[in-house]
Amino acid sequence: MASELTLSVNGAKRQVSVAPETPLLFVLRNELKLTGPHLGCGMAQCGACAVLLDGEEVRTCITPVSFAVGKQVTTIEGLPAVWAEKKGLRAADAAKTLHPIQQAWIDEQVPQCGYCQSGMMIAAAQLLAKNPNPTVAQIKDAFTNTPPSPHLCRCGTYAAIIDAVQRAAKAMRA
Amino acid sequence: MTVKTETANDSPITATITRRGFVKIGGALFVSLYIPGTFAAKAAESPTSLDPTLLASWLEIRSDNTIVMRTGRTETGTGMSAYYAQAIAEELDVRPETISLILGDTDRTPDGGFSAGFLTGMSNVRKVAAYTHQALMGLAATQLGVPVSGLSVTDGIVSGGGKNISYGKLVEGQHLDLKIPVEGTQATPDPSGWVGMTSLDGFTVTGDPPMKPVREFKVMGTSYPVPSITDKVTGKTQWSSDVTLPGMLHARMLRPATLGSTLVSIGEVDKKQFPTAEVVQKGNLVAVASPNEWEAISAARAVAAGTKWTDWAGLPGSENLTKALREYNWGAPAESKGKANEVKAALASAGKTISATYEQPYVRHAPIGPFVAVADVRSDGSATVWTHSAQSQGLRARIAFLLGVPVEKVVVRWLEHAGQYGRTTLGGDGAEGDAVILSRLTGKPVRVQWTMQEDMAWSTVSPGWVSDVKAAFDANGHLTALHSAFYSPHMFDPRPLGALLAGMPCATSKPGNWIATEWHYEKIQRLEEVYGMPNLAAESASGGLRGNIMRTPGQRQQNFALEGLINEAAAAAKADPVQFRIDHTTDQRLIDILNATAKAAGWETRPSPHRGARKTGSATVTGRGVCIMVRSNAYWVGIAEVAVTPATGTVQVTKFTIGAECGKVINPRQLDRCMKSGVAMGLSEALKEEVTFDKEKVTSTNWSRYKILTMEETPEIKVVQISRDDKGFGGGSEAANAIVPPAVAAAIFDATGVQPRRIPLTPAYVTTLLKG
Repeated sequence: MASELTLSVNGAKRQVSVAPETPLLFVLRNELKLTGPHLGCGMAQCGACAVLLDGEEVRTCITPVSFAVGKQVTTIEGLPAVWAEKKGLRAADAAKTLHPIQQAWIDEQVPQCGYCQSGMMIAAAQLLAKNPNPTVAQIKDAFTNTPPSPHLCRCGTYAAIIDAVQRAAKAMRA
Repeated sequence: MTVKTETANDSPITATITRRGFVKIGGALFVSLYIPGTFAAKAAESPTSLDPTLLASWLEIRSDNTIVMRTGRTETGTGMSAYYAQAIAEELDVRPETISLILGDTDRTPDGGFSAGFLTGMSNVRKVAAYTHQALMGLAATQLGVPVSGLSVTDGIVSGGGKNISYGKLVEGQHLDLKIPVEGTQATPDPSGWVGMTSLDGFTVTGDPPMKPVREFKVMGTSYPVPSITDKVTGKTQWSSDVTLPGMLHARMLRPATLGSTLVSIGEVDKKQFPTAEVVQKGNLVAVASPNEWEAISAARAVAAGTKWTDWAGLPGSENLTKALREYNWGAPAESKGKANEVKAALASAGKTISATYEQPYVRHAPIGPFVAVADVRSDGSATVWTHSAQSQGLRARIAFLLGVPVEKVVVRWLEHAGQYGRTTLGGDGAEGDAVILSRLTGKPVRVQWTMQEDMAWSTVSPGWVSDVKAAFDANGHLTALHSAFYSPHMFDPRPLGALLAGMPCATSKPGNWIATEWHYEKIQRLEEVYGMPNLAAESASGGLRGNIMRTPGQRQQNFALEGLINEAAAAAKADPVQFRIDHTTDQRLIDILNATAKAAGWETRPSPHRGARKTGSATVTGRGVCIMVRSNAYWVGIAEVAVTPATGTVQVTKFTIGAECGKVINPRQLDRCMKSGVAMGLSEALKEEVTFDKEKVTSTNWSRYKILTMEETPEIKVVQISRDDKGFGGGSEAANAIVPPAVAAAIFDATGVQPRRIPLTPAYVTTLLKG
């Protein structure tokens, strides 16, 4: 049975009428039209659906929407605002900015098919929030051994992701 | 500034211009305005196709000097959309940023063809741009009163005699009547044909328009970014999984209990719990649909629990695959290349021979996003399908045949989605068959989203194989003759699963096989034979384990056996494996990239195995190995460095050096990206991947059972590129995965003295191998 829930997504309050056990992924995609997070395995084994919940990565394919109530949801669509707020940018400048992680993903031409990259950028955001200057080994460890599963890329863009995380880290430290 | 001095008068192509304001060409405004979806060149006969002989079908110059280019080829993630823009920009002397591309839509693009035909696809747009440039220069000469030889173009502005005019102004409000010469045919259904359609290639632009010499390139050869990446990074891309239509139903499929089961009875939908859910069924095709996706998912799970299927157990089990292949009566080779009599005689009379058997299990494409498609089939017989197929025109033909309607009734719209790595290249596989059948049955637009478990159980696979290879040495330790025999279920069954299960028309699956290797050891006489058989369990209702092509198809498999034997022969001859290859070829391009890659890898010239090679103990031993491949006018070298722990069978690839010479490099950074990511996919195949199945069904149906490479397992990857101006363009992506497994196997031999002859090189297999 549908319930009226209030979510906080990318800095805005959003009302949805959905069954509370609905995975957050389907609410974000179908109700809120935020299609950055993608359906991959549906069982928290790949990372394509990852978003930040109060700054911590979660896999939205297995996270009931009710679990997100009262927490801040951030998708890749909301990353620019996160950065703008951190840097205290005015609205006009904020509208034009990208998060340094996104800019690094463009500068390093990371995506091939790109399907997993939304989750990869979310993983990068979590890593760089905790470790502003990670080594290659620490990047590999974070993308592979952080529960619940490795972030998988079938195109094999791992080397490009490492380059981009290091580029983003440098930009964010500046 | 770039100057073109070719004159339009030398060309057989004539350009005329008529000043009629906005001129409609079969419903389209050619100049100044672009209206998506209203473009139809031959409205009367074929409202959903473009006439490929009309320039307007390919290219549009707007008054603001921007350009729209259309091609039926698609972006598969390897950067083709950047290369297309670069090729067009080069010939038209415009900035690539001014070009936008429409890819893959069957009603809005002219040429079609399969994704692997990138070189043809690029040649098409390059020639169209060259023809257009030629025509524009003729127009500019008239407009400016300056001969073509006195004109130059920079950023789409033509200058001469102290005057200038933009392309946009040259054609504004006018109709540039330029015929594009083409050959080929549009894909139409042909159920008796090889893969069920008439043409995989679509249309090819012919003729020989003056094109810019490679040495004058300014855009080709630069690292122009892939246009679609920014939207993918910001979340603006509309993926094929994002399509929603008014009144659309979400469907989840209920697949048979085994690969061969047929339906006995369907479970009930609890309408109290799932008020909007309904069961849709035709034959063995069963789905639950609802306007609400989560309700469709939840109801499908409930209905599946109460649905009954017949028992079936017709597979050999993956652990018995080689045995099953050995027991098959193969008959005559499907294809054979080389000199049979000479090779057989040489093998029979040689003083020393070497032979080995190589094998590989089934592997699969395994995209991160499972199949998804949206279909809207109308009561008038028309059908529109939104998809990520790499062969839109072929899929269109297949869907038309399935629905029993003329191809003109079907439109396929292409959108980005997870990489397919070849599985949709033949215009089949995927959720499109399910979607059109369900849309016809319900009378509503239907979105079919497969689950990952379903995709890994039911999508097509790259078949397992065994290969026997023999070679003869001369007295000097050189190979004189080589015979390979390759046995495999065929890899050409793209029939839509939905059509198979529903018992609706689809082309038959024709067993066959082909020799994909390109022979580069001219000093060795070769006889290559391939044998094909139907799918495993082909007679089942679902068609069994449906074989399909996968990145570097055929050559990936055949080269593993061929290069494995070359490495074994080098060891038997106590020769350095790089030098041994150089000694058996005269192809300087191959020799150059071998030397350059070996140098970059710090290759030490010596035979394998390493002096310290050891196959026991818990201390790691290290080794290195090499592999080459020639494919699509490109030369590839892979050098793997490994650390093996004999006691545990653990193989760690510590470094991989990859070299490529593919003629003129179009985009060095994207080539670098494709080479490195190809190595990652190749390492995944070498170390981890295996489709497992029991007697009933596929069992490797999630990422913990079908393991692929992780970031932590990715080694340092060093890239060597050689770009040359005198050999045209070569394929810069496909082979990168395929050179990895033979190089890793050779490195394990170097480290341990034991030659692996199968992949994946899992700890369990390596442990057994080293004990044996």
